[in-house]
Amino acid sequence: MIHLFPLPALIIYTLFVLYPIVSAFLYSLYDWDGIKRGVFVGLKNFVTLFTVEPFHEMFWNAFGHNVYYFVIEMIVQNGIAFGLAFLIYRKIRGAAFLKMAYFMPRLLSVIVIGFLWKLILNPNYGALNTLLTEIGLQQWAKPWLGDPDTALLAIILINCWFGIGFAMLIFLAGLQAIPEELIEAARLDGATGFRLLWKIILPLCMPAITIMTIFTFIQAFEAFELVYAMQGSMGEPFRSTDTLAVYFYRLAFSSAGGAGDVAVGLGSALAVVLFFIVASVSAVSLYLMRKREVQH
Amino acid sequence: MKTNVGSKAISYVAAYVFALLSLYPIVLMILSSLKTNLEIFSSPLSLPNSFSLDTYKKLWEAVPFADFLLNSVFVSGMSVLLITVFSAMAAFYLSRFSYKWTGALYFFFIIGLMIPIKLGIVPLFLLMKNIGLLNSLWSLILIYTASGIPISVFILTGFFRTLPVELEEAARIDGCNHLQVFWRVLLPLIRPALATVVIINFIHAWNDFFFPLIFIQEEALKTIPVGMMVLFGEYETDWSLLFAGLTLSALPMIVVFLLASKQFMEGLTAGAVK
Amino acid sequence: MKQFRLHKVASVCLIAAMALIGCSSQGGEKAAPGTQPGASEGSGQQVTLSMHSWRVEDTEGYKAIIQAFEAENPNIKIDFKPFKATEYNTILNTALQSDSGPDILQLRPYAPGISLAEAGYLEPLDNIAGISAFPKDVLAAATGKDGKVYGVPLSLNSTQFFYNKKIFEQNGLKEPKSWDELIATAKTLKEKGIVPISFGAKEGWLLSLSHGVIAPASYSGSGYIDKLLKGESNLQSPEFLQSISRMQELIPYFPENYVGLELNDMRTLFATEKAAMFINGSFELEGLKKLNPDLQLDFFPMPTNDQKAVITTWVDGSYAVNAKSKHKPEALKFMEFMATKKFGELFANQFKRISAVPGVSTDDPLVNKMAELSQSSSTPYLMVVHFAEGKPTTKQALENALQGMYLGKLTPEQVAEEIQKSAATWFPPFKK
Repeated sequence: MIHLFPLPALIIYTLFVLYPIVSAFLYSLYDWDGIKRGVFVGLKNFVTLFTVEPFHEMFWNAFGHNVYYFVIEMIVQNGIAFGLAFLIYRKIRGAAFLKMAYFMPRLLSVIVIGFLWKLILNPNYGALNTLLTEIGLQQWAKPWLGDPDTALLAIILINCWFGIGFAMLIFLAGLQAIPEELIEAARLDGATGFRLLWKIILPLCMPAITIMTIFTFIQAFEAFELVYAMQGSMGEPFRSTDTLAVYFYRLAFSSAGGAGDVAVGLGSALAVVLFFIVASVSAVSLYLMRKREVQH
Repeated sequence: MKTNVGSKAISYVAAYVFALLSLYPIVLMILSSLKTNLEIFSSPLSLPNSFSLDTYKKLWEAVPFADFLLNSVFVSGMSVLLITVFSAMAAFYLSRFSYKWTGALYFFFIIGLMIPIKLGIVPLFLLMKNIGLLNSLWSLILIYTASGIPISVFILTGFFRTLPVELEEAARIDGCNHLQVFWRVLLPLIRPALATVVIINFIHAWNDFFFPLIFIQEEALKTIPVGMMVLFGEYETDWSLLFAGLTLSALPMIVVFLLASKQFMEGLTAGAVK
Repeated sequence: MKQFRLHKVASVCLIAAMALIGCSSQGGEKAAPGTQPGASEGSGQQVTLSMHSWRVEDTEGYKAIIQAFEAENPNIKIDFKPFKATEYNTILNTALQSDSGPDILQLRPYAPGISLAEAGYLEPLDNIAGISAFPKDVLAAATGKDGKVYGVPLSLNSTQFFYNKKIFEQNGLKEPKSWDELIATAKTLKEKGIVPISFGAKEGWLLSLSHGVIAPASYSGSGYIDKLLKGESNLQSPEFLQSISRMQELIPYFPENYVGLELNDMRTLFATEKAAMFINGSFELEGLKKLNPDLQLDFFPMPTNDQKAVITTWVDGSYAVNAKSKHKPEALKFMEFMATKKFGELFANQFKRISAVPGVSTDDPLVNKMAELSQSSSTPYLMVVHFAEGKPTTKQALENALQGMYLGKLTPEQVAEEIQKSAATWFPPFKK
């Protein structure tokens, strides 16, 4: 009887997540002619992905962007979110309103966010460039999404705008879980301000920080929807906004129409690689966190 | 800790400036939707000159928004219900019983956290076709349920583990079976964590556009994001209509959030990290 | 009380289970998209065909055309569903790979569309009435390597420089007859504070499209295309290199922040009379007129190095029948309709575009002028007609490289090198 409990979840999850993804992974072992499966070729697609031009160049270019995505999100999104969580934790007037405000962007669909920000960042009529011009900073007005130096950063910052509220709540939960006595004890020992934060609060917040880091990592390495909604599947301009998931999309689906430019085998190989990057890093971090928890 | 006036002022400024940054684009979207195109282009930052809902009228006539809304409610509601019930049952099993395979089973679920399910779209499509669910809202419900299970099991199992077992033991002594213990004793205790699960999954199901795009072709079965997408494509140069469409897409969620923001926040903070 | 609670659990599970079972049986009736339950048996019964397209803009226009067909064929209904161009490919491929998809589908021209026929997803159309009336080079856009025709051609597209007649007249300008005159015209406009060319580099496909207009000036009449297709010349030849340098030469005449502009922005600049010229396709006519009905619009063909003028053309968007369609006879009937003069005229007048059906003219003088020039002095859109293959396609490689050039990351020489490298991976004459 008790073994029936996990069964519904297990069945649905296996059937609609695991089975499709494993099938897709198996595609990577076949030769593909457009969207028709050919013969079994072993690891040939993986070799092609990492040795043949332009595939390996595109891979490393996109990989670099994913790393950049992660780093900026850690610094900007999680950094600011932690700061805001700390302010609210230390009691601030209007905390309920603030929490609500920070979380609001998280409610919007990526489709809405993508379109909204594209309109705001429009080089000629957008609100941002108009604002910059009105306050006398017209030399700062830029074609934000058309310039390879700013396009990816702009998208990542929009993602931070979107994610700060959620990260803030996770950190706040972590902060509120710290026993008051520990902080009091530290204060009695003379720890104040930054020392208190650095030596006592941050270490005690580690579970929340680890979880948020893992979430951010997964999210950064699977970054697709916002990039796609704002810049399409070509990583424009000049591949400056390409990410691994967008690259996958380009390989697995046609951007020219038809089947000629599709490489299902390569796309699936990329999916496998992407999964292993995400899974190994998250598994190791989770394991380390568990270990530390046991030690406490 | 000594808090001098200066640092307090800085805290307040920082906290409220970020609140402004979070809200301003949304406010801008709503205000712009009330303007004419000309006004948006000539003075994008100012308040609208006159209040007019004409654009919304035009929008309402252009798309069957009420259908989209109903579909979104049905899909998100049903997905969240299934996710919550099934994940809580699984989490109960994983946290309260230890068999040889419990660890492996937990790991099996957790792997799903790292799987970008979109990568399996082609086999998934084939599967849906074989079970006859193409162009059915149930295809979406099953996908959202399946992909919501890992994170929900993760959160709920974590939460269950923090609960003392004494209560259940007392209930068992009273003669409750597993199902009764689960339903009567544990579920009420994990309400905060359940709230987290409900919120996270509801937002996800409500806002997804990728799966409806692939699986739903019938206009009357579209959910809000994908239904509005066609509109965005068709009226690319009509910014006033675009802003109105964006506002209308975002509005139901914002209204629900404002009405229930207290539960929202408590739910999210309570269950997230344990 | 205990009993009651238990009952509740059971009923939730039951509802869930019923929902699962219920849904699959309900879905089973629905079957694949585009096939309606119980409609296919018996010829007298109503059949609904699904028809997919990437032209969201055309939804209204198709209504009238489909009505005309349905009036003649009362037992067939056509359900026209457009998708955004970018998502269309994904939706179509996913469906085709699973042996489903619409009955009638719009087919990308040349290599991309033909690849679907080669994969066996399309029904050959050689035997339908009216198909033989199309010229061979028009049918080429949808003819497989097996020589069979897989699509009824919809329209002939042309790309050209549109210009604002009023602005030209006010500034005493005439249609340029050579590259130097074009530059001089642009210079004059710039001096008067008017944006000479509404151009943006954010969307790659518009870069290859613009190159398609500008490039023939460098090689038209020189026999370059023949040599190229035989493998006797390549994409790094002086003619081709000049075509890319000329794209660079135009930079001073583009709007501010042009690297961030999309089609919408470009169209708006031109339609609101802030810019004097606009490089784009015949398919933009309708949209421009909608945005500004008073726009005094005209176009000029590209002046070439050998003192002629050419217009760049290709066949766009054939319609094809899904080989797995459950209503092939009805779908083929619609194909026959699309090959008739009646359809051609409806299409041309509805959309202000050149119908692919031979001998159709419209009530729009500008469209007629395009059609005439397409007959008398056309040049193929090289990247679409001959170089839309490869992974990514050579056309896409050009788009990416041109973007690189406009961002100051590549020289014209490097652009040519990039696309030659791309073509060398698949273009048979280069592989010899």
